[in-house]
Amino acid sequence: MAGKSGRTISATPEKALRKAVLSWEGMLLVLFVVVNIFCKCISPVYTFTNVLREMPKYLTEIFLLFPMAYILLMGEIDISVGSIVCLAATISCIAGNAGVPFIGVLAIGLLTGTVCGMINGLLTVKFRELPTMIITLGTQIVFRGIAEIVLGDGGSISLSNADGFRAIAGKIGPFPYMFFIVLLCAVIFTVIAEKRVFGRGLYAIGSNSRTAFYSGIRVNRMLFTAYTVMGLMAGVSALFLTSATYGANTTTGKGFEMDAIAMAVFGGISTAGGKGKLIGGIISAFIIVCLRVGLGQINMNPQVILIILGALLICAVLLPNIVQSINMRKASKAKA
Amino acid sequence: MSDYVLELKGITKIFPGVKALNNVQFQLKPGEVHALMGENGAGKSTFIKVITGVHKAESGEMYLFGKKVDFKGPRDAQQAGIAAVYQHPTSYPDLTVTENIFMNHEIKKNGIIQWKQMNEEAQGYLDQLDADFRCTMEMGALSVAQQQMVEIAKAISTHAKIVILDEPTAALTANESQKLYKIVDKLRESGVSIIFISHRFEDMYRLASRVTVFRDSQYIGTYDVNGITNSELIKHMVGREISDLFPKPDVKPGEEVIRIEGFSRTGYFKNVNLSVKAGEIVGLTGLVGAGRTEVMESVCGITKPDAGKVYLYGKEITIKNPSDAMNNGIILLPEDRQKTGLILSWGLGRNVTLPIVGKLSKNGFTDEKRERELSRDLLEDVDTKAGSIFVPASALSGGNQQKVVVAKALAQDNMKVIIMDEPTKGVDVGAKAEIYQIMGNLAKEGFAIIMISSEMPEILGMCDRVCVMCNGRITGELSRREATQELILELAMEKGPDKKKQEVVK
Repeated sequence: MAGKSGRTISATPEKALRKAVLSWEGMLLVLFVVVNIFCKCISPVYTFTNVLREMPKYLTEIFLLFPMAYILLMGEIDISVGSIVCLAATISCIAGNAGVPFIGVLAIGLLTGTVCGMINGLLTVKFRELPTMIITLGTQIVFRGIAEIVLGDGGSISLSNADGFRAIAGKIGPFPYMFFIVLLCAVIFTVIAEKRVFGRGLYAIGSNSRTAFYSGIRVNRMLFTAYTVMGLMAGVSALFLTSATYGANTTTGKGFEMDAIAMAVFGGISTAGGKGKLIGGIISAFIIVCLRVGLGQINMNPQVILIILGALLICAVLLPNIVQSINMRKASKAKA
Repeated sequence: MSDYVLELKGITKIFPGVKALNNVQFQLKPGEVHALMGENGAGKSTFIKVITGVHKAESGEMYLFGKKVDFKGPRDAQQAGIAAVYQHPTSYPDLTVTENIFMNHEIKKNGIIQWKQMNEEAQGYLDQLDADFRCTMEMGALSVAQQQMVEIAKAISTHAKIVILDEPTAALTANESQKLYKIVDKLRESGVSIIFISHRFEDMYRLASRVTVFRDSQYIGTYDVNGITNSELIKHMVGREISDLFPKPDVKPGEEVIRIEGFSRTGYFKNVNLSVKAGEIVGLTGLVGAGRTEVMESVCGITKPDAGKVYLYGKEITIKNPSDAMNNGIILLPEDRQKTGLILSWGLGRNVTLPIVGKLSKNGFTDEKRERELSRDLLEDVDTKAGSIFVPASALSGGNQQKVVVAKALAQDNMKVIIMDEPTKGVDVGAKAEIYQIMGNLAKEGFAIIMISSEMPEILGMCDRVCVMCNGRITGELSRREATQELILELAMEKGPDKKKQEVVK
């Protein structure tokens, strides 16, 4: 059904394979292999089962990556999640010590996170003119403040009965339960972002929220949902964290938000919104986990590991920019 | 040869892979206003940049006052007395008018800037132009029209002999344009030669004595404005005959589709009533800032009105957000294609289907194959010039972007009312004709159409009825037969939008 000039427009998508190999996600996959070979070379005890055994320490943050990626894709940010993790962990510990049955403790942990997320969402939607960086900076302080008040003078709480939490820290073969839940979340969140109407909305809002709004996308509703899910996942993270530490203190979850943002950005998700893929964030999360485990095994100073990860992150952010600026220069030469 | 202040011969400018200018020529007589016309992409802008020294031509010669010149950069052109004023003034919004005027050629004594003298001179230029603002005001506080005036003052201050005006009226309202015409007259009287680029024919007829037409990077010809008809000129520009620029179909309006009653929003508009019948095109015009866009955005749920009711086929509906309006079949084509109409970084196809991803989805999963096919069909229907639906919207010209916005509206198959806000803004004449054609066809199919426009010819040419707004109120309604440019302007300025401004115009 061509127009009156008989002009036809192609609707055949490009062949995907070549594109996938050359994409950022493809490069990350290569890097993942390189990192594993590197760790294997430097550490004799770097084996599959050992990595899995040490993984839970780092996996808790990956729960935050998924909703953080959504929020970043919409061009917003949430830096309060570390505090939400702290608050949710604290309150579930108190509930556990007060004799609430374990299933109730789980519910209370998730609910605490969700309510915090809803507060963030509500503030974001009601005060659209305020940057979410500022809103969540505020709630970051407030949530942690509440947690510290609840924790009281000692600044920490220990579970008197950790049986339930020990159960969720269990394993199937060498795989911790958490590993499967992370994978399940990875699949669900990726499918939603790539294949569902909600995912298209995420990208639309991040690319141009005005046009998205004018096109009938319920921008506020989606923002509220994303922040609420962020809170819920912070609750999940808090519960698994408690299952490893059997308690909570004032530093619980500190810096988690930055780790989640770092994984996402390393994975190619732009903080400006609209660009990047969840799968990239997930691969980069596992790169970071493997690197931490490997470097930890050769007893490298944790601070040095942080410096290495930071440097890697900066390189990762710079690289696409450099490639882009070279391309732009080429294009502008072609135009000028 | 010295008959001309500026003469260019055999100019060819090649960008890698494209000949942007192919052996074009141009002559400017002393003290004339010379219009340069052509569609988007015809090479006008490149040509101007060659004159102003921004681009260097691969071949060709340029003579200024009979002397061969070879500009190394924009500075050379400036010093030779060539000044350019662009559609969107490239100024420093946080600096004062004086600072903007004297930017890069400040009056200095022993290295110290002479503010008093500069302010006096700047005010002098502004007075010459009958400006209604002071030279000590901040540039950012001025309207586009006023900023253009500053740019013109800047041109005078550099004692430019040749002034290039690049689409100066595109962002102006009718009476602001009138004022600009007077300024151009004054410039010409003071001996300045002017090159005037515009898509508007009224500009050309009012101002220019000669017109040069470019098409597809080629020089087509130079004509006396008095000796050429509108349709001849369009034919030269487009390269084909456009028999009727305004193909207004003869549709007998059917039943009332939409009626809005008592729309009010403090500070924007008050008690606006409007109704549109099936197959009817209603124009909503007035000065920029009269509240036209604001009313329609409220109707579409983008902003919240303080009061007002919308009836669709006589039944009241509630619209709380844009998706409510869309679900009721009220579709808005926003004024600003780039900011609210399209996602520029996205491919055309995804832009077209953005409002209907949900409708096309299966259980919440997007149906990409159907999206691709549907968007391709729609984009072909409106005759978009693009190779594939994956081309990013940013790569298209203004006219083609507008077609994508139209396709996006058409994708919503429950459409009953279509509200087009400045549908031909920044669109060249060929694409304009096509958009009017589409509009006409939509009217034939029985849609109710509201067109917000500042362009008098399209209001007079396309509309069955014209509603004029001023200061947030509808000040009058004219039928197609009654409507004239004078009547509309009178209604648009009723009571005077700003008394001061009117005094200055007199």
